[in-house]
Amino acid sequence: MAKKKIFNEKPVGVETPEQARANAPKEGSEVETTAPVRTLWSDAWRRLRRNKLAIISVIWIAIVVLIALTADLWVPAKLGGPTQQLYDARLPMSWEHPFGTDQVGRDVLSRVIYGSRISLAVGVMATAISTVIGLIMGALAAYYGGLWDTIIMRLADIFLAFPYILFVIVMLAVMGSGIQNVFIAIGVLGWPSIARVFRSAILSVKSNDYIDAARSMGASDFRIITRHIFPNSVASIVVYATMNIGGAILTEASLSFLGMGVVPPDPSWGILIEDGQKYLATNPWLMIMPGLAIISTVLAFTLLGDGLRDALDVKMKDA
Amino acid sequence: MGRYIVKRVLQFIPVFLGVTLILFLMENVVPGDPIKLIAGEKKLDPQTEINLRIKYHLIESDSNGKPIYDENGNTIETPMWERYVDYVGGLLHGDLGYSYQQNGKPVADILAEKYPYTIKLAVVAIILEAIIGIGAGMISAIKRYSFWDILVTLITSINVSIPAFWLGMLLQLFFGIVLKNATGGAFYLPISGAGGPTAEFDDWVYYILPAVTLSAVSCAYVARIMRSQLLEVLGQDYIRTARAKGLSKHDVIVHHALKNALIPVVTYIGMDFGGMLAGAILTETVFNWPGVGYETYRAITKRDWPIVLGSVTVIVVVVMVINLIVDISYAYLDPRIRYGSPKEQG
Repeated sequence: MAKKKIFNEKPVGVETPEQARANAPKEGSEVETTAPVRTLWSDAWRRLRRNKLAIISVIWIAIVVLIALTADLWVPAKLGGPTQQLYDARLPMSWEHPFGTDQVGRDVLSRVIYGSRISLAVGVMATAISTVIGLIMGALAAYYGGLWDTIIMRLADIFLAFPYILFVIVMLAVMGSGIQNVFIAIGVLGWPSIARVFRSAILSVKSNDYIDAARSMGASDFRIITRHIFPNSVASIVVYATMNIGGAILTEASLSFLGMGVVPPDPSWGILIEDGQKYLATNPWLMIMPGLAIISTVLAFTLLGDGLRDALDVKMKDA
Repeated sequence: MGRYIVKRVLQFIPVFLGVTLILFLMENVVPGDPIKLIAGEKKLDPQTEINLRIKYHLIESDSNGKPIYDENGNTIETPMWERYVDYVGGLLHGDLGYSYQQNGKPVADILAEKYPYTIKLAVVAIILEAIIGIGAGMISAIKRYSFWDILVTLITSINVSIPAFWLGMLLQLFFGIVLKNATGGAFYLPISGAGGPTAEFDDWVYYILPAVTLSAVSCAYVARIMRSQLLEVLGQDYIRTARAKGLSKHDVIVHHALKNALIPVVTYIGMDFGGMLAGAILTETVFNWPGVGYETYRAITKRDWPIVLGSVTVIVVVVMVINLIVDISYAYLDPRIRYGSPKEQG
């Protein structure tokens, strides 16, 4: 119920076009001048700014994204360049090679940097796929209920009954490895959780009076879902998707470690760890460094997700 | 309650059929003749090949196990739907089929060999998880905002972001290599395998590192849930009443708060146990642990589909049964919970 207050914009379906035109000029001049405009997102941003861990996380994620995007401009050893020099194999850390070199003489720092591209891409793409499928399924299940709900939620049960990582591996064994298949496998198998989150979010919004009001004004189902229900349940989706990116990065690392994910010589963080495992006794940094990259990035997404949850949570708004 | 259990058990049926169907379709999408996977590069004589095809239900046979021929004298390929029905029928009788490799050993025998290792490892890991997780969560909640609370929060946040296999390798590095070198070989822990009669250490020593690795992430979740639950319970009226009666803080926590706070924690631990019985594929792989997870992974990489299908099906059933037990015990632990209301459906 408190959710309605957050939105300053007028509920769209409630007024007729004539009324809207009549109201429009007044808003800026007389009524709204008393208080600054406060939206859900400006409120959330204000609260998020007070959360130091979340801000550090945002900064770290921004740095990683920037590094991934600009890598080609400054990385010591470019991808695909003449990098393999066996007489440089497994050098210790030095100024020239801050993270040392691997078993075929490639600069590990450069490979960790290029690994960020793959890990971020998998995190974002897989989450995007899960979210789109999850939103559609969740919306169908919650809004139409009945048979739709039963079928979709039973399907979700089937997907959730599989041990997740095992399911992803079986799917990749069928489809073959490679980065696109990793997107698809992690993305497609991630939908049930998002569908559940969105479904319960819709169910809690659906019974509100303003939905009935919109329907009585003749708004279509699609319009009600996209203009009224979605904005009121988007907070939980944003939080869930943020955390999901970290989870997808972890899954990708596990898959590549098992040799089922990204195909070498593409440097994913999981592959770098697997490469390093063979030299655990002599060159432990080979696996430690990419591991630290994974932890710091996943941790940043988790903490940002926590922060967003606190900032967007309607129940905690005035606390 | 009885009706609820019956309903839940009936819900197993579509999930079971769905899981087996998806796996079965996946196997059949993969190109390649199973006989090639069985024989490898070897050339089989025609009779052996026909016998093999009958054993794996690839061609039609009569009740005596003799192949049925069509009018041209060729064997008849069994249609896919019939093979699926055969497969599910076999499953219901405990027949999980035969491995493509390992000399055609029955899958049920292979799993029976591997499961004890997975179960024992899961039990050790769950005990660690319960003790450390609940303990850390309690300290964190009781001494809220203290140094210890911040420490626990920090460690749990990091823990849930660590890839389990990487943590396992760090433990191997420290306890197996660094410690061995530092003490001149006097003290270190085994980093691979599960012991055995000819092993260097007593069997229990082999459990230490895999169990710690397996429980690390779950420990963090248990501590988080414990902390938030205990804080919520401690904020309730009956706790204040108990304090007002003059009970000590210790008594209030032990006799009043703990019992209620523990319910969701126990549920989580139960579910997690189910997950661990599914075989910790990564932990088992890192430590060469001879359990179901490692076996399934090995079978996937070698395209030994009967083992993959069999073990995943068994895993799914085990997880569903454990989740049901957890849900039922939830109602016993917390009399406020009633199952069977319309809200619970879906």
